[in-house]
Amino acid sequence: MEIEKQIQRLQDRLSYIRDIFGPKDNPNRQLLEARLGEFLARGNGLSLAEQVRQVTQLEDLFRFLEKKLDAELTPMDRVRIVRHPQRMCLKDILENVYDNYSEIGGQDEYSIDPSMLIARAYISRRVGKKVHNQPVMVIGQEKGHGQEFRNGGSVKPWGNDKALKYMRVAQTENIPIHAFIFTPGAYPVEDYPGAAQQIARNLYEMAGLTVPIVAVFSEGGSGGAEAIGLADYRLMLSHGYYSVISPEGAAAIEGKTRQGQRVAPELIEACARQLKMTAADNKAMGYVDQVIQEPPLGARPDDYEFFKLLRGELIRATNQVILSVRGLKFFRAMALSRKSKAAAAAVDPESVFVRWSIGSGPRELLAWRRWIKFRGLAQAAYLDRRTTAQKIFSIGQDLAWSLNSFFRYEFLGKHRKKLERFVEEMEAEARVVKDKVAAPVVKIGRRLGVGGNSQLAEAERDSLTKLSNPEAGTCLTDESWAYLSPRARTDRAVTCPNAATHGCLDLWAPDLFGDFAGVCSHCGHHFPMEYEWYLYNVFDQASIHEFNREIEAGNPLSYPGFDQKLAEAKEKTGLKSACMTFEARINGLNLVVALLAAPFRGGTVGAAEGEKFIRAVERAKKKHYPLLAYVHGTAGIRIQEGVNGVIQMPRCTMAVRNYIEAGGLYLVLYDTNSYAGPVASFLGCSPYQFAIRSANIGFAGPGVIKETTGIDIPPDYHLAHQALTRGHIQGIWDRREARKNIYQALLTMGGRNLYYR
Amino acid sequence: MKAKRHKVLVANRGEIAIRIVNACLKLGLDFVCVHTREDHASGHVRLAREMGGEKSLYRVASYHDASELLAVADAAGATAVHPGYGFFAEDFRFARRVVTRDRPLTWIGPSWRVIRELGDKINTKRLARRLNVPTVPGSDRPIYDELEAEDMAAKLFAFQSEQGFDQHVVLVKASAGGGGMGIEEVERIDVFKSVYRRLRNYAKRQFLDEGVLIEQRLFGFNHLEVQILGDTSGKNVVHFGTRNCSVQSAGRQKRIEVAPGFAPAEINYRFDAARVLNDITEYSLRIAREVCYDSVGTWEWIVTPKGEPFLMEVNTRIQVENGVSGAIAAIGGIGPVDLVAEQIRVALGEPLGYDQGRIGLKGASIEYRIIAEDPDNRFAPWVGRIERFDWRREPWLTVHSHVPTDTPYEIPTEYDPNLALAIVTGQDLAEAKARGLAFLDGLVLAGRNAGGGELKSNVDFLRKKTDTLLVF
Amino acid sequence: MLNVRELLQSIKDSPYELIEISAPHTGVVTFAVTEPGARVSGPSGSLLEKPGTQLAILERERNKKPLSAPQKGVIEAVRTELSGTFVEAGTPLLTIRHYLTADEVVDRILKKALYLFLAPERAKYYFVPEVDKKIKAGGSRSVRLTDGQELFIMSRMKREATLAYSGPEGQIYSVYFRVNENVDTGQPLIGVCPGEQLPLVQEVVAKVRSEWGEAR
Repeated sequence: MEIEKQIQRLQDRLSYIRDIFGPKDNPNRQLLEARLGEFLARGNGLSLAEQVRQVTQLEDLFRFLEKKLDAELTPMDRVRIVRHPQRMCLKDILENVYDNYSEIGGQDEYSIDPSMLIARAYISRRVGKKVHNQPVMVIGQEKGHGQEFRNGGSVKPWGNDKALKYMRVAQTENIPIHAFIFTPGAYPVEDYPGAAQQIARNLYEMAGLTVPIVAVFSEGGSGGAEAIGLADYRLMLSHGYYSVISPEGAAAIEGKTRQGQRVAPELIEACARQLKMTAADNKAMGYVDQVIQEPPLGARPDDYEFFKLLRGELIRATNQVILSVRGLKFFRAMALSRKSKAAAAAVDPESVFVRWSIGSGPRELLAWRRWIKFRGLAQAAYLDRRTTAQKIFSIGQDLAWSLNSFFRYEFLGKHRKKLERFVEEMEAEARVVKDKVAAPVVKIGRRLGVGGNSQLAEAERDSLTKLSNPEAGTCLTDESWAYLSPRARTDRAVTCPNAATHGCLDLWAPDLFGDFAGVCSHCGHHFPMEYEWYLYNVFDQASIHEFNREIEAGNPLSYPGFDQKLAEAKEKTGLKSACMTFEARINGLNLVVALLAAPFRGGTVGAAEGEKFIRAVERAKKKHYPLLAYVHGTAGIRIQEGVNGVIQMPRCTMAVRNYIEAGGLYLVLYDTNSYAGPVASFLGCSPYQFAIRSANIGFAGPGVIKETTGIDIPPDYHLAHQALTRGHIQGIWDRREARKNIYQALLTMGGRNLYYR
Repeated sequence: MKAKRHKVLVANRGEIAIRIVNACLKLGLDFVCVHTREDHASGHVRLAREMGGEKSLYRVASYHDASELLAVADAAGATAVHPGYGFFAEDFRFARRVVTRDRPLTWIGPSWRVIRELGDKINTKRLARRLNVPTVPGSDRPIYDELEAEDMAAKLFAFQSEQGFDQHVVLVKASAGGGGMGIEEVERIDVFKSVYRRLRNYAKRQFLDEGVLIEQRLFGFNHLEVQILGDTSGKNVVHFGTRNCSVQSAGRQKRIEVAPGFAPAEINYRFDAARVLNDITEYSLRIAREVCYDSVGTWEWIVTPKGEPFLMEVNTRIQVENGVSGAIAAIGGIGPVDLVAEQIRVALGEPLGYDQGRIGLKGASIEYRIIAEDPDNRFAPWVGRIERFDWRREPWLTVHSHVPTDTPYEIPTEYDPNLALAIVTGQDLAEAKARGLAFLDGLVLAGRNAGGGELKSNVDFLRKKTDTLLVF
Repeated sequence: MLNVRELLQSIKDSPYELIEISAPHTGVVTFAVTEPGARVSGPSGSLLEKPGTQLAILERERNKKPLSAPQKGVIEAVRTELSGTFVEAGTPLLTIRHYLTADEVVDRILKKALYLFLAPERAKYYFVPEVDKKIKAGGSRSVRLTDGQELFIMSRMKREATLAYSGPEGQIYSVYFRVNENVDTGQPLIGVCPGEQLPLVQEVVAKVRSEWGEAR
């Protein structure tokens, strides 16, 4: 019987190889097929002893060739490994890595979201003479070996909400979080709490969590991965991938294919390679801290050696994070350091004990160190054309602003406030006295009928009929805008898209894009408008001062053909990246603005955009200015930058959190199509998000939704009004009132640390 | 005029379209008319078919669709656009489009800048005040201060009682509002503050602007107007006297207009009526000269029971009632004057060719607006089929109508319910009134609606009002 | 009572409807479909978000507006002689021979079965805001009517008046008018299904659906 099982297992291994390598010719696979086939053909005629001998030989051959095949794995093969139902999944890890666990809030399909699995788990071990039981919160996507209801690990918004809830619990209980990332991406539904908005919320909260977070990446699909992936230490499995988009998705965009059309497999292979999504690539770029070696052709549920290795690395990583913020640590830290590989290999992590609950001092330090870690990422992924002198100057300027703000708002501000309060009190006292004295006089005046209605005095009459404020001139209404859209210069009629339902008549382009600011005068439909319109018509005249223009979008992955496309975008728009950062004034109030301009590569966010955004946030924080993210449009993270782009999600969100926590006002204004990564991070986390009526807001565009969920969505699915109804944004503004509304928001919203408060 | 033969797009319907076509014929110009499906039986369509040359009539989807009108203008080879009244007549954007499009046309009306300048009521008010022309008392800019607003309201109440109005109403308007949004009435000063605050908060929420205007609603005044004409040089501005349009429907729509505005020779007034007429004419000219007024236009005035005039607004177009002024006017002794033709003539670039001294005004003229409506039921329009419509032709009578007299006519529900304008003239007001009554008595107007009900019209109302015309 | 079988038979005898496509406004027309006999389809997609087959383009003031087929059918006639010329609003451009769908047959038969509330005057009609909101939220069948209930705003001669419903209690089953279009006197505005008749109406619908082949 034993031999039958062995043969079956060999057959399984062969079919697994077929699955992974696909239909391409492969001599190694063909050899295995031939040998196994020969054996099966002759099998029954042989003696048992001979059979055993040959099976053992075959097993050796399999082992040998699997190793050989492993070395040949292309990035796309790895994607197939990760997606294979035989790949080990989170439940296998819970069984084999931890010593005890209880799943929380889910029993197979009975769960608010079976794709997201939460467990309270223990690692127990004997160190010296003592047995330690160390609890952790395990959070991760469960693919369930292809179980339908697990949805492939594609988590719905409420699944990510559940994850966030238990991260908070871990914080309350002061235990580390182990996050396991097994997701092709988040499930793109907009229903509350919203795919994008929930990821943003997770990122915002994780940025401030005061317990250690260790993440393990097996399948890191973009935004879905980030929802639980903002960690102090990021481990990656050697056969996993971590990417901004699936290779198929990238190929569909690259090949400009339409919905339902098939993409050539060669193109998908090429995209998988170009996106630099393997563990080795990500380690090299610094987006994961360490790679854990899997057995040849990837870890499967019975690879017990692998689980042992994983367990050791998890313990080591958790220990290391804690020691990095704790005082007494020297020897243990040395022992754990990965810098000297030989030494590290010699020390069994199981033998080093570190208490995993930490005191309040180090806890604060933890979040700070996390920020420093992410702040330093992706620094090589953008072009910085500033001269050395400029760079030094900018450091000096930063320092000067910090000092200036400290004196003005912290030091002097406090004293000034005290004085103001004193004056206020005195005035109030004086008023009471004055009223008492004046009261009888007023009464007498009334009795005498002063101001009666018999005859109107000449002067009074003049005040009703003569020109008031003659110096103000005649015409009080100046209807022209400071910036005129180029579309206002063509003599043609334009049809409003609502014409069929609202009966709008054609509009004349010069009126529509001129006087009407792109708003249909009949139904109020907002046509998209150039971002320049806002620059000139929202902010005070000539008050815009751009900074960090020298930071330019680059091609960090050397993505083929992308240099050319970038150069074209720069040429066409005159911008150096999709993000323009500047200081400006509205009615005299200073603010910092980060603008995402749709004409530059769809307003996508890459390393340069992220870096500029962060610097703008830091500037606003230092100068105690309010911060406006004006999203003219963004299609998401720039896929050609791969993880260099994705990593901007946690980075920028962390910067925003620091700013808001320090008492700033972070305002987001969506204008046209605003989708995906940026919305699911640094935009969606703002408590004050508004939309111009022209905005579409969402996690994924209609095409992507159709592709991933198979559901047809109505054309109005992403309209600003829907986003408002779902609770994703806080209000909708008419474009022509943008200036007034922003000013109003500056006055009425936001934190204690604004300079004008 | 140069050799270029002009073709005028008549961007309107009904009787004004007919008057424009007739003016074109008189001036030797080509024209092209438009009509909608509903208006297929209108007189202007018939006239275009009978008198028009090639490409002189097009069916359009709507008179309100600017693109429709301009597409027809191009297709028909038109060189100028006459907007008539209503529709696009005072739409400065349409006027601007007409003259700035790639195939520019001549706009028969004031230049778009003038339309814009005088179309803004606050702007007109400030302009008038700067020129020391009296305007309706009230604010001429948004007020943000509560005390200032209350003070102004108190003075307005005082003004209303001083002028002898029995009903006192002050209006608080959100300055950023419009279209009837954000207007409240106040009848007593002691409730002003609470109304003001409510409106201010509303305006702040709705329009993000706290500014309010403090104005007033007046009752029992007389509505006078001054007819102005200027040529495109902007330097030659003349007037064609005054009109009185005080007989109105419940919805403040004019029903009878009389020229001149008062008749001091025949009626006694509590004030110096001749002086009032003189003053409003002078004031109107003052503004017209200031803005270089370059077409026909009407300055509308309120005259209080004490005889004080206040400028209300300026209508930068030909008006329905231009005929009464033309009827009593003569240029160099030749009358009556066709103001529509004058408007077209100057718009096409001809100089005015005469000065005020050559314009004579003599006698009186009355215009009746004959409408199928029920004056006893808030002038509700009557819808149905007109079966008989006729009147006796007289030398002192002109009737402008698009309603056929030889065949039944279904009243379209889309548009103004006006059926006809009847203009009678006389040596003096008494003769005009007598002729007016004679005309109304002889008028044949009958019809039935879908339910078999008899036609309702305002003829009795007009007759009743004739006796007291110009009495104030 | 209603003889459904007979009605159905009479429709079966002539199961087509000729749809005339005319110019919605003036402009220069060019035809995308030039041959009679060509098959065209109406709006498609699960939400009818994809427009029907493009029939012609009408260009006015440099704005090219596609005209697309409102229904599935076969082109009966095309006035190709108009191609490239400036046409007036309302000019007939093509006709489509449309084989009635089950829904349309149901609609025709229901017009005989439902209580029809007619337009008292030629005017534009709108639902009063409360009803309009309800219909937008839950479809017309979510509205239950009672006699004397204010239902319409009737707009003509620049004046608006409210119009109350009179007739049996029931739900609005069909709406026959469109926003911004005039309805002639005596034309039906809505079809109302009185409560007790609902089973009958549903039976009619089921019967027609089972007997009407949609294939063509």
